[in-house]
Amino acid sequence: MHDAVTLEAKGLPTAVIITSEFTLEAVTQRDALGMTGLDAVVIQHPLSSLTAAEIAERVASAVPQIERVWLSGKAAA
Amino acid sequence: MSSGAKTARAGVVAAVIPPAGTDLIEWYYAQGYSDGFPLVPPTPEKVAAVMAALGGDAQQLLCRVPPRWGSLTREVLAINMVMAGCLPGYAPVVEAAMLALTAQPFNLNGVQATTHMASPLLIVNGPVRNEIGMNSGCNVFGSGNRANATIGRAIRLMLLNVGGAWPGLLDKSTLGHPGKYTYCIAENEEQSPFAPYHVEHGYKAEDSAVFVLAAEPPHSVTNHFANDPPGILDSICSAMSTICNNNAVSGGHCAVVLGIEHAQTIAKHGWKRHDIRHYLWTHSGNLWKDLYCNERYGKIYNRTLPVWYKREPDARTPIVPSPDNIHVFVAGGEAGRFSAFIPGWGRMSSPVLRALGGAPPAGGANCVDGTCYL
Amino acid sequence: MQTQLVYDPRGIVEAQAMGLAPRIRKIDGLRLAILDNSKWNCNKMLRGVRDELQNKHKFAAVNYFTKDSFSSNATPEQIAEIVANHDIALTAIGD
Repeated sequence: MHDAVTLEAKGLPTAVIITSEFTLEAVTQRDALGMTGLDAVVIQHPLSSLTAAEIAERVASAVPQIERVWLSGKAAA
Repeated sequence: MSSGAKTARAGVVAAVIPPAGTDLIEWYYAQGYSDGFPLVPPTPEKVAAVMAALGGDAQQLLCRVPPRWGSLTREVLAINMVMAGCLPGYAPVVEAAMLALTAQPFNLNGVQATTHMASPLLIVNGPVRNEIGMNSGCNVFGSGNRANATIGRAIRLMLLNVGGAWPGLLDKSTLGHPGKYTYCIAENEEQSPFAPYHVEHGYKAEDSAVFVLAAEPPHSVTNHFANDPPGILDSICSAMSTICNNNAVSGGHCAVVLGIEHAQTIAKHGWKRHDIRHYLWTHSGNLWKDLYCNERYGKIYNRTLPVWYKREPDARTPIVPSPDNIHVFVAGGEAGRFSAFIPGWGRMSSPVLRALGGAPPAGGANCVDGTCYL
Repeated sequence: MQTQLVYDPRGIVEAQAMGLAPRIRKIDGLRLAILDNSKWNCNKMLRGVRDELQNKHKFAAVNYFTKDSFSSNATPEQIAEIVANHDIALTAIGD
């Protein structure tokens, strides 16, 4: 989350992808760093042990959220 | 003290004062501050005694503890020390440990949150060990010593309360390990035949220092049959050469604690610390093919490991990238031919050595016995 | 009987409030920086995302950066390069 906060603070709209297992940590980190408006792109946990097909599913779920974060600041529709 | 008084210093004294006669041990449990064991209810006198040992200046900010990035002032450190059961004299060690843990190379943020079980291991060197009555001998990793137990506990309470790393919330460790209650020892400099660890790293023997490593639990190494260095060290190499310790797939640093009998046998043959670390590094490791079940799940490269490891089936993969990444200590009781291998987390965290008071080392490794290889 | 003082061991969190960067109005024509934190499978996922985004949008540039270790921040040099030469960023896996 640090990198995303740093980049946003420097003027770059940034989409940061996290897995569903780390949503609380992401919120805590961004709040502790002072950027309470930073919304993350959330994909289903886990990522490290997936097959190619499962990774493709994560990609599909991430792309619309990424676009929304860049355009509106909110990942959800 | 006036009842119902609002706190003058937010975050230190709670605004809500429990009624007289409240069982404070239960009250602190109910607040969610406990590591599972009862907390010692702080009193102004106890906190003041620790503050005096720290040198006063209650609001001095020492560091911020991730992942919550809570501000650790001297006063907050004193409160956690009292809750842990520390004596005031432990304060310089606890303070140095927190500064070492929050130093950038240690990456406490990552250590706190990881799904791996790594927990900070604290090892103390120098005269402070005896001044505060630490145990460096029999049962050194076990219970029974107030300093070892409560210094380690105070650190854990701060990682929980100031750092916010509560299990399941921000501490994602799948299994945890008992070191998350307390994980603090002293090196047995008196019975070690070698120079102390901090002297090997450029400090004077009369300096006191703390070493922190994000560590798995100790893995016992039994060897009762060998009477020479290679025989003993081969057993430690065997403990190191597993595919499942985190160093094997994540690189980084590890520790080896030599028991007294093993250390003395090795020293009797003229071997030094340098020789031990190089032998362990050279004669341990895994075959690349064994790390990933012979490509059963496809070809895995593993970018966490150094690029210069050959990714060929019969290539020997070291446990850590260098003999300097093996941190050797001597500790434990006089009887028993046991040592311990302590894997680390990986290259994501580097151990930190810090003198009490923060002075840098005198410069370079001391040369003793006519050699600079300690 | 005297009331008992109680203590809070947590310390305060001092955070300086920071706003987000201004949002973009359209994605086409922008320079995208992708920052990979080298965690397992992160690169496979990010490459898939990059390919999908490039199918949908015409970026002026797409540049890929990899962090040294999945658990540390990007280097100041990487941040400076990303900020200087890009308009939007994508990072993974944030943890």
